[in-house]
Amino acid sequence: MKNTVNSTANTNNDPIDDDTVATLDSRFNQTLKSVQGMLKGRSFPGKVLLTRRTEPFDASGINGSPREYMRSFSQNDVGPSEQGDKSEQSPSTDDSDSNAALSKSKSSDSPFNTSKDSQKTLLSARATDSARVVRAIRHPASGYVQGINDLVTPFLVVFLSEHLEGNVDTWSTLDLPEDIIANVEADCYWCLSKLLDGMQDHYTFAQPGIQRLVFKLRELVRRIDEPVSRHMEEQGLEFLQFAFRWFNCLLIREIPFPLVTRLWDTYLAEGDALPDFLVYIAARDGNVPSTPTNPQLDRPRIRDGAFKSIYVAYH
Amino acid sequence: MSSDEEAEEYLFKIVIIGDSAVGKSNLLSRYARNEFNMHSKATIGVEFQTQSMEIEGKEVKAQIWDTAGQERFRAVTSAYYRGAVGALLVYDISRRTTFDSVGRWLDELTTHSDTTVARMLVGNKCDLDNIRAVSIDEGKSLAEEHGLFFMETSAKDSTNVRTAFEMVIKEIYSSVSRKVLNSDSYKAQLSLNRVSIVDDEKKQTQGNSCCSR
Repeated sequence: MKNTVNSTANTNNDPIDDDTVATLDSRFNQTLKSVQGMLKGRSFPGKVLLTRRTEPFDASGINGSPREYMRSFSQNDVGPSEQGDKSEQSPSTDDSDSNAALSKSKSSDSPFNTSKDSQKTLLSARATDSARVVRAIRHPASGYVQGINDLVTPFLVVFLSEHLEGNVDTWSTLDLPEDIIANVEADCYWCLSKLLDGMQDHYTFAQPGIQRLVFKLRELVRRIDEPVSRHMEEQGLEFLQFAFRWFNCLLIREIPFPLVTRLWDTYLAEGDALPDFLVYIAARDGNVPSTPTNPQLDRPRIRDGAFKSIYVAYH
Repeated sequence: MSSDEEAEEYLFKIVIIGDSAVGKSNLLSRYARNEFNMHSKATIGVEFQTQSMEIEGKEVKAQIWDTAGQERFRAVTSAYYRGAVGALLVYDISRRTTFDSVGRWLDELTTHSDTTVARMLVGNKCDLDNIRAVSIDEGKSLAEEHGLFFMETSAKDSTNVRTAFEMVIKEIYSSVSRKVLNSDSYKAQLSLNRVSIVDDEKKQTQGNSCCSR
C-alpha cells in the first residue's frame, strides 16, 4: 500500500517482481478497455461500460505481502454491522468471466487464487482498484461502495491522456512503462481521496450524506418549480428513486462522458461546497428520468445556469 | 378495480432482489429488452423496466424494480419494496455465498412488504453448469421450505427468463383476480344490512373472546 502511495515520489524503486508486473499490465489494460467501452457506448443511462462490480482487489498487485494486506483490509472494512459487505468483497464473490491468460498471470501465492479464479476474469482495473481499496482501508467506516469506481474514471482518463495520444479507444497501456502506470495509479488515488474527503458521510452506513442531498433537492425543486414537484407527488414518484444514483455517482452516469472532465474540474474547485453544488446542478439537470409510474413525466425545463452551459456546449 | 371491463388494466409491481452480481439487472434486461450485457455496471439505487403481457385477453403490465445488491445500499433499497406484489429472489448458482444469503433476503422482504407477495427463488447463471456450486435440488428444497416458486435461469442464454417472470406475473394475476371477484360479489350481494350484521358478528366474537378470558 505504501508503495502505491509513495510511488509518485520514487517510482523506480518499487520492488515489483516480473510476475506482478504482468498482472498489473493486464489488469490495467482491462480497466482501459472498460473506459474505452464507456466512451464508446456514450449513450445513456445504464449502458456505459465500466468496471462492473466490486471485485476483490488482488493484493499482490499492490505490495509484496498480500496476506497481511488483505487482513487489514477485511478487518477494517467489514465491521460487524456490515456483514453483507463481506460477501461483496470476499474473494469467493468473484464471478467475472473466464480469461485464462489473466488468471495465469496472477501470482500463485495470492490468497484469492482459488480454483474458481481460473474461470474468472479480472475485469476490474488496477488503478481504480488500488484507489478504491486503499481508500477503503483508510476510511474504515465507509469502505467501498459500488459506484465509487465510477468516480475514478475521469481521473484515469485525464492522467493517461498525458502519456497516450489519439482516440481513447486506441489507447493501450502496453505502450506505457511500469513507472508511469504506477504514477497514474497514485495520482488517481490521491485525486479520488481529495474528491471524496468532502463527502465523508456519503458512503458510510445508510449513506446519510446522500439522503440529505436527496432531501435538499426535493425541497429545492419544491421551491423553484412547484408544479413539477406537485406532479411528482401526485404520481407517487419519490426523489430517492432517481436522485440517489445521481449523488452516489456524482452524475457521472447521467452526463455524457466528454463533459465529465469539465464537470470534475468544477467539483474539485468547489471543495467543501461540493455537496451543496451537487444539489443545484442536479436541480438544473433536465434529465429527470422516465419512471414506471409516469413514463411521460414532463421534463423540467433546463434553466439558465451551469447545467445549461454544459448542456449547450455538448449539443 | 375499475368497473369498466373493457379498459381494465393491471399494473403489478415486482422487485428483483439478491446479492451483488448475481445477474438481477441482466435478467431484467433480457426479459424486458432481450438484451444481455456481460459488462453491465453495478446498479446504484434502483432502476425500472415495464413489460406487458396478455393474460386471459387482458393486458397486464409488470413494473419491475431492479435493486442494487450491495449491502451498503440496503437502507435505501428497502424503501423500494413498498407496494410490491411480486418478488424474484435471485442467487448465482456458481457462488455459494449468494445462495447462503437467500434467508436474509427473505427476512428483508418479509419485513418490508406484504405477506401476500408472490415470491420466486431464481438460480441464475445456469449456463455455468461446469462451475456450479449450488445444486438444483438444494435450490428446490429451499424454495419448498419457504413456499417459493423455484426456477433456474440464464440471462446469458435466455433459459427460463421469460418463463420465470411470467410465472410470477400470472400468479399475481390469479390472486388479484380472485380478490376482484370476491369484492365484486360483495358489492353485488352486500346490502347495508349485511354489513351491519357482519359488524355485529364481529362484535359478538370479540365479546366472546373477552368472556372466555
